Amino acid sequence: MTRGVGGGKGFARPAQGGSPPISTRLRVAVLGSLLAFAAAAYMDFVFAPEDSLQGPVQRIFYLHVSSAIAAYACFALVLIGGILYLRREDPRPDRLARAAAPVGLLLTSVTFVMGMIWAKPIWNWDPSKTWDARLSSTAVLWAVYAGYILVRRFAPPGRTAARLAAVVGIVGFVDVPVVHFSVLWWRTLHPQPVIETGALPASMLAAWLVTLLAVLLLTGTLVATRYVTERNRELAEARRDRHELVRLESAAEVP
Amino acid sequence: MTFAACALAVARKDLLTEWRSREVLPALAQFVLLALVVTLFAFDLDAASAARIAPGVLWLVVLFAGLVAFGRAFAAEKVQASLEALLLTPAGPVAIFAGKALAAAAVLLACEAVLVPGIGVFLGVGLPPLAVAAVLLSTAGMAALGCLFSALAVQTRARELLLPVLALPIWIPFVVYGAAALTGRAPQALANLLALDILVVVVAGLAARFVLDD
Repeated sequence: MTRGVGGGKGFARPAQGGSPPISTRLRVAVLGSLLAFAAAAYMDFVFAPEDSLQGPVQRIFYLHVSSAIAAYACFALVLIGGILYLRREDPRPDRLARAAAPVGLLLTSVTFVMGMIWAKPIWNWDPSKTWDARLSSTAVLWAVYAGYILVRRFAPPGRTAARLAAVVGIVGFVDVPVVHFSVLWWRTLHPQPVIETGALPASMLAAWLVTLLAVLLLTGTLVATRYVTERNRELAEARRDRHELVRLESAAEVP
Repeated sequence: MTFAACALAVARKDLLTEWRSREVLPALAQFVLLALVVTLFAFDLDAASAARIAPGVLWLVVLFAGLVAFGRAFAAEKVQASLEALLLTPAGPVAIFAGKALAAAAVLLACEAVLVPGIGVFLGVGLPPLAVAAVLLSTAGMAALGCLFSALAVQTRARELLLPVLALPIWIPFVVYGAAALTGRAPQALANLLALDILVVVVAGLAARFVLDD
């Protein structure tokens, strides 16, 4: 997929000076993410001590919390991209928002699955009997950004899609903390934060930080890949339209 | 014309159209009563369970009736291409949006006026006054968000399909506080609903310009 991305055969683009082409930079980022994930796996499964109360299942925490934070980061990108697009109608922030939304949705799904696997032994979890506020508010979060992607799909492409999606991304981001606090206020089973309160032992904190770094690196790589893909798609479409125009014009000249 | 005068004029236009054509309200009232008939068959009802599920039925029917009412608010303008004409007038897009939301909220209120006694008749239980207060209080906020997404959805290919997908998750906090009003923390839940109304009216008002302005 990265073939022909960096000023290759497919696209007539100006040469990129001294810096390596985008495809090479993306490959380096993928390699870096893989290495970071290997390091995170070592930290989470070997280096970090086993939790005395929860046993091995506690190790889910590292990926669960990291992917939740990365998902919020993606949705923040959707918000910022939307605001910048509405301010100056620049296609670049819109493309960034478009690239970040599915990655955020993916990370929310990872957070979900990790949380459910953890909850099964710890809460003896049965969704029909154990209602949890965080689970419900995350389901809402997921639905909001699934709606965002649907708007992008169904809106007329181009400016309208960018404008409408930006509104959904902004209103959705405002709503997410409201949902979060409203259900927390209702009642919850979800564990309280341990990181910012300093309740986490140093070795576990180190493992978590390495995992967070790996997840953020992978997130950045995925968003960048999607960004480049979207840009190339736009370039290809513009090129196709130009060809079509030239074909029509030359056809019109023939009497 | 001031902002309020424009908004009221648009709301008056919408309600007058509705009064003359009598299209949406009779259909919505019928929808509400049918939803209650379905409830009679869908739930295993007795004196104890009816009282317990009545507030839940109230919320479910209000949400779905709201989707129909708000969906209509912009669909009719789109079909007749009159939204463009409205936007060409000197009235600002936000005033037009506010007027349409106001009219849609009035339609939903009329719906609730059928629904609340309807639950009493069909389920045989009176609703807790706090549940009714919470629903009435939520109508303003739900109308603001519902009309925002309705205006957005009519500009897409999916139209009616997109409105529930967008509006339902964003409406969840209203249901949460509405349900919490029945758990003994009523004053704070109702205060939170009011705060939520103000927040979403401001957010929808700020966003409306970008949805309507093409």
